[in-house]
Amino acid sequence: MDLGALAGSALPAFIASGVEFVEATTIILAVGVTRGWRAPLYGAVAAAATLAVIIAALGVTIVTVVPEHALKAFVGALLLLFGLRWLRKAVLRFAGIVALHDEERIYLNEVAELRARGETRTGFDRIGAIVAYKAVLLEGTEVAFIVIAFGAGGAAALNAAIVGAIAAGFVVVALGVALRAPLTMVPENWMKFGVGAILSAFGVFWFAEGLGAEWPGDALSIPIILGAFLAASWLSVRMLGVIVPGGAEVAAKRV
Amino acid sequence: MSNLAGIWEALWGLLVEDGSLAIGIVAALAVTWVAAIALAEAQRDQVGWLLLAMLLVLVVLNLRSAGRRARDAIRPS
Repeated sequence: MDLGALAGSALPAFIASGVEFVEATTIILAVGVTRGWRAPLYGAVAAAATLAVIIAALGVTIVTVVPEHALKAFVGALLLLFGLRWLRKAVLRFAGIVALHDEERIYLNEVAELRARGETRTGFDRIGAIVAYKAVLLEGTEVAFIVIAFGAGGAAALNAAIVGAIAAGFVVVALGVALRAPLTMVPENWMKFGVGAILSAFGVFWFAEGLGAEWPGDALSIPIILGAFLAASWLSVRMLGVIVPGGAEVAAKRV
Repeated sequence: MSNLAGIWEALWGLLVEDGSLAIGIVAALAVTWVAAIALAEAQRDQVGWLLLAMLLVLVVLNLRSAGRRARDAIRPS
C-alpha cells in the first residue's frame, strides 16, 4: 500500500480516535494544571500499559481461538452496543435534551473539582494519578473499539486503522502540550454523531456477515446502512423537537 | 476498592448507558440469529436488513421515550 492509499484508509480512524484523545487530553491537562504533571503522566502511562496488556491478551486469544464468523458476529454486537449508545446521546444533544459536549466546560469543571479536593504539595498525588488513569483507560478502550470497527476488514484495514489512531494520538497530545489548554476548536458533537452512526453501520454489517449472510455489493452496502441510521437520527431530532420544543438539558442519566 | 469499582462501572457504561436500549439491541441480535438459523440459505442474506430495520425502530422508539421522560422531568409539578 502506498503512502497516499494508507493515509486515505487511515483517515476515518484518525478522525474518530481524535475525538477520544481530545477527551483524555482535556482531563490530563486539567489534572496537570491543577495538581502538577508527575501524577497524571504516571497515571496515563499506567493506563496505556494496562490497555496494551488487555488488547494483547484478549486480542490474541480471540483472534486465534474464535472462528472467523463468530468473531465477526461478536465484534458486530459490541460495535452496535457501543455505536448506538453514542448515536442516541448525540441525537439527545442535538435536540437540546442533554447538554452539548463542551470541552472548555468539562475542563473548568474538572479543575474546580480537583481544586476542591485540596492541593498536594508533598508525596505522590494519588487522586491525580487515578483521575488520569481512568480517563486514559476509558478513552483508550473507545479507541480500541474504533480500530476494531475500521480494521475488521482484514490485515491492511487493521494496519491503516492502527496508523490512523496512533497519528491522532500524536497530533492531539502535541496540540495539547503546545497550547496547554482544552482543544475547544474540535467540533466534537458532530464528530461523535458521525462516528456513532459509522460504528452502528459497521456493527450491522459485521453481525450479519458473522451469521453467514452476504450483503449486495459486499462493503458497498455500508453507505446504505449508514444512510439509514443518519435518516433515522434526523427524524428523531425532528420528533424530539416536537415533544420537547425548547429542549430540556436534563442530566443524561435521567433520560 | 471503590476506585476499581468506579473504573469497572465507567467501562461498563461504555456499552450500557440506557438499559432499555441495551436490552433492545441484544433482543434484536437474538432475533436475527434465530432467523439466520431458521431461514433457508437463499433467504439468509435478508437477515442483515431485518436487523437494520429492527434497530432503526428501536432507536426511534427509545429516543421518543427519552424525550417524553425529559418533558416530564422539566414539567412543573
